[in-house]
Amino acid sequence: MKNLAQNIADVPRSVAFRPATILVPWLACLAVALGVHHYLPMIVDEYWVNVFRRMGVFVMAAVSLNVVNGFAGQFSMGHAGFMAIGAYVAAGFSYYGSLYFRGEANVDDFMIQGTLLMLVGIVAGAFAAAGAGYLVGLPSLRLRGDYLAIVTLGFGEIIRVTLELTGKQVYDAKAFQDAPLSTLATLPFNGSTGFERVLPYANLFWVWLFVGVVCVVAYRIKNSSAGRAFLSIREDEIAARSMGIDLTKYKVRAFVLAAFLGGVAGAIYAHTGVNPSPTDAGFQRSFDIIIFVVLGGLGSLSGTAIAATLLTGLSEVLRGPESIVNSPAGVWSLAGIALALAVGSALLKAVGNRGWRVLAVASVAPVLLVCFAYLAQWLATAWGVKLSDYRMILYALLLILVMLLRPNGLLGVREVWELFGPEKPARRPGAVGPGKEPAP
Amino acid sequence: MSEFLLDARNISIAFGGLKACQNLTLQIPAGGLYGLIGPNGAGKTTAFNLLTGVYTPQSGSIHLDGRPITGLPPHQIAKAGLSRTFQNIRLFGELSVLDNIMLGCHLRGRHALVRTLLRTPAFVAQEAAMRTRAMDLLGMFNLAHLADEQARSLPYGDQRRLEICRALATEPKVLLLDEPAAGMNPSEKKSLAQSIRFIRDCFKLAVLLIEHDMGLVMDICEKITVLDHGCPIAFDVPAKIQCDPRVCEAYLGEPAADQPAPAGGGPAA
Ligand SMILES: Nc1ncnc2c1ncn2[C@@H]1O[C@H](COP(=O)(O)OP(=O)(O)O)[C@@H](O)[C@H]1O
Ligand SMILES: [Mg+2]
Repeated sequence: MKNLAQNIADVPRSVAFRPATILVPWLACLAVALGVHHYLPMIVDEYWVNVFRRMGVFVMAAVSLNVVNGFAGQFSMGHAGFMAIGAYVAAGFSYYGSLYFRGEANVDDFMIQGTLLMLVGIVAGAFAAAGAGYLVGLPSLRLRGDYLAIVTLGFGEIIRVTLELTGKQVYDAKAFQDAPLSTLATLPFNGSTGFERVLPYANLFWVWLFVGVVCVVAYRIKNSSAGRAFLSIREDEIAARSMGIDLTKYKVRAFVLAAFLGGVAGAIYAHTGVNPSPTDAGFQRSFDIIIFVVLGGLGSLSGTAIAATLLTGLSEVLRGPESIVNSPAGVWSLAGIALALAVGSALLKAVGNRGWRVLAVASVAPVLLVCFAYLAQWLATAWGVKLSDYRMILYALLLILVMLLRPNGLLGVREVWELFGPEKPARRPGAVGPGKEPAP
Repeated sequence: MSEFLLDARNISIAFGGLKACQNLTLQIPAGGLYGLIGPNGAGKTTAFNLLTGVYTPQSGSIHLDGRPITGLPPHQIAKAGLSRTFQNIRLFGELSVLDNIMLGCHLRGRHALVRTLLRTPAFVAQEAAMRTRAMDLLGMFNLAHLADEQARSLPYGDQRRLEICRALATEPKVLLLDEPAAGMNPSEKKSLAQSIRFIRDCFKLAVLLIEHDMGLVMDICEKITVLDHGCPIAFDVPAKIQCDPRVCEAYLGEPAADQPAPAGGGPAA
């Protein structure tokens, strides 16, 4: 039997070096970003364009949190804290950068240089968040389960309170240019009011380009020896250790990677036309992201991305469900989607692909949505009840329903494309192993 | 320095007042197939935990291939060449059978973040090599057709063999097996005995075996250490162990060969 080194030496170069494998995902990211940027505004209005920018941020946030919560199984509840660090550092770069170099922050023709500043800010924000991830990762090595959750929750709150205590924002370019360093030393991030006038450089293109980058990075981590190491820690720390996995190294790595990607998400968020404020670091936001991850499936990247997309979209729809049926285009496009999914499902079934079940279930969703919209309209006209007033309750009910139906999240640890493929032969029955047991 | 591949001398540990392992000496030469037996709660699993670094011995020393490994963390001991299976199966249940084995290959590979993210040729070659190696191992244990199944969906006997397979993937010098036959039926036990011998010869490693099935132990082990209440009470060839009065006494006065294995290999640890 050969050892691994000999096996590696045996791999032919043609197998090892495949430029397509290396490059195609990045090009796909670019194509998707360009496509979304170009075509989406033709279909939806300004309001929904903004919703899609926010959606992108949440997808990044959820996917990045999945690295530590889903892959490595270390339950972190302070992800919003990392995002806020990324957001503030990046916003600091672009706002004070334009103040310093341009003498003003509110300019339109500044887009190219502003975008450059934002990109620098994103990198800086991500590294700052990663540094914080390292600091949080270290003490949490000794903690497990609930205790780790509490520590990370505390971390998020510390960031929130720290941000509330930051100094006044400087609007006067002259004053800033005179003493940039001593001004920055006062952390001029405007305390609890929130960082103002950060220009929305992150348009649909940038948001979705980074969504793609974050997803490719997370996917490559998952499908690598490092990703297997993370998953093994989640499955059984004692066995992982005995198989030669350095728990310390990999747990800290998971925290740092998740924080880094979360920092990217936060940095983009700061440039989507919102004022980053201390509440963005709070546990409310952390919980929102945890919900996406748990609902999508701990360890499933596509699952979390889908959950983040759908839930963000749904909470918008719940603000005015009637608007779907009030515009014929809304009903028809939803009906079209449902029909396309149903036809796709039938086709897959015909060719013996097990993916038909997924599509069949998915095709029901738009139909339900339209029915729900009609119900909302009827309630509003006949009874004067506005369902949108109850949207938080409806949202919560929906979450409960999903958790009851799919306790492991939408997809568990699988990816959505793993649900497709040729029909598998039925499993042999009675093949059950013993349950997990406590430490030796 | 010493002629033994694994050389543990006088290792001890106590949990509070309970002396789980006292002055245990285990010395296994290269290519040896040794046994470690004793009644339930005698401290056999604890001995494995001491050897593999799960617990640090309170006294005594452990050398592997001449290198001191006393007090090293488990992952470094694994890297040094000591691998084990668990009495209560500890597979990575959600992962596929193939991934379980590839994880075993992990510690002989290199995993820098840059090559992982950029999918460099070195990375692709290593993944391909790990896969080949894992499939070869699975093929050897007749598990190749189950490569894509979730590990926890396997039948009990297959799970046990998968654990051995995973331990072998780490390229160990010494393999520690903790009750590998527990829960197996007689024919499975027979083929297990063959595979253990085969593993020893094919991978050129030393094996230390904990087992309650006396037939199996007496059949394949060259020498046997007997533990009772944490103390080693005998160390000899199987024939002598069988008629050693101290051993019979430890097993409640019954002849050791008639000692029944615990039903279903219940979780005694
Ligand atoms: N971590 C621990 N803490 C306290 N007692 C332990 C621990 N591990 C094992 N023991 C005790 O040590 C004794 C030996 O256990 P073990 O090595 O599992 O026995 P066996 O020979 O059946 O494998 C038992 O009495 C067990 O309860
Ligand atoms: Mg035991």
